[in-house]
Amino acid sequence: MLKKLWTHYFIPQERNNYRASILKPNFLLLLLVAYLLNQSAIKTLTIAKPGVLGYSSEITAQKVFDQTNFERQKDGLAPLVYSDTLSKSAKAKAQDMFANDYWAHNSPQGKTPWTFFDAVGYKYSVAGENLAKDFYDTDSLMKAWMASPTHKANIVHTRYQEIGVAVVNGTLGGIKTTLVVQHFGTPLVASVAPKNTNSKPSSDVVEPSIEVSNLPELETSDILGNTSQSLISPLTLSKIFGSVIFIGLAIVLLIDGFVTVKKNVHRMTGSTIGHIGFLLFIFLLMLYNQQGRIF
Amino acid sequence: MIIPKEVKQKPLEYLVLFFSLIIGFCGYLFVDSSQAKRWIIYSVGIIYFCWSLYHHYKRGDLQLSIVVEYLLIILLGIVFISGTLF
Repeated sequence: MLKKLWTHYFIPQERNNYRASILKPNFLLLLLVAYLLNQSAIKTLTIAKPGVLGYSSEITAQKVFDQTNFERQKDGLAPLVYSDTLSKSAKAKAQDMFANDYWAHNSPQGKTPWTFFDAVGYKYSVAGENLAKDFYDTDSLMKAWMASPTHKANIVHTRYQEIGVAVVNGTLGGIKTTLVVQHFGTPLVASVAPKNTNSKPSSDVVEPSIEVSNLPELETSDILGNTSQSLISPLTLSKIFGSVIFIGLAIVLLIDGFVTVKKNVHRMTGSTIGHIGFLLFIFLLMLYNQQGRIF
Repeated sequence: MIIPKEVKQKPLEYLVLFFSLIIGFCGYLFVDSSQAKRWIIYSVGIIYFCWSLYHHYKRGDLQLSIVVEYLLIILLGIVFISGTLF
């Protein structure tokens, strides 16, 4: 009985007109609704019961600092010096994003990254900012930054001498998350390069951001600390549920393709090869962007 | 290697489809803004839908149930990727 039901839904055969029932429009609609309901449930739970779902992250400010210098050393550049002042401005930027519920270089109130540099009294000749969120480990975060030409340009910029890193927890758009902010700079007095007398850095230096996932709130001094939170990420839950549906669908399509080619069946249905190709496209995007968000 | 009969019969149509998917994937890799990435995904979905209409029209079996099937597959793919990446 169970076997009959299983084959009816998953294996093309005469009883289901040689099309696995799960691939028929009514079941596809059911899968779509189930996925959307799951997304809504996760979002509702995250907002209604903060703390039930969270993020499990291994990112620490120390690791971000170390790996940034590791990437610079690979390019034969001098390591950046950790700056308490820049970490304060990075932390202020992260807190401002949580307070005003935005994720961008410029705030809705018109604050630019330089506002935060100025606020902590950091006089620079050049400066830059990288942002990140929704990553679970520092390796993936650094990989994403290094894959983005604009973020990489900040990390391996020859004119930067100092860095500050902040990893701050909070709620953004109703969802608990952690932001990672990197502030780069060269103090005005220490700069060997031509000085920028403007209070604004040169435009080629400042670049967009990546966003990273959450950790407990870190103080600036936590740059040498290690923090993690063992809650389940809403994003992970969403990915697991989606992946189960997605991989299941792909397997059924492969079986469908194999059986119909072998039995030389003619049907009035969508192209199995086309569906597999399209789902493969989506799957490859998933593999490429496993974590995090990039503007 | 087993090449399905439908691919053997219409190799050009499938070449166009797979070329579009590959171009879409490469485009996704090379753009930096998430807005552009999002539009690439939507564009590939639209291209796949248009391809399906042409493919089934030429095959002579363009029916509502087939159109709905493609729409649902495309929606599932887009909703899934949007939910996890953006």
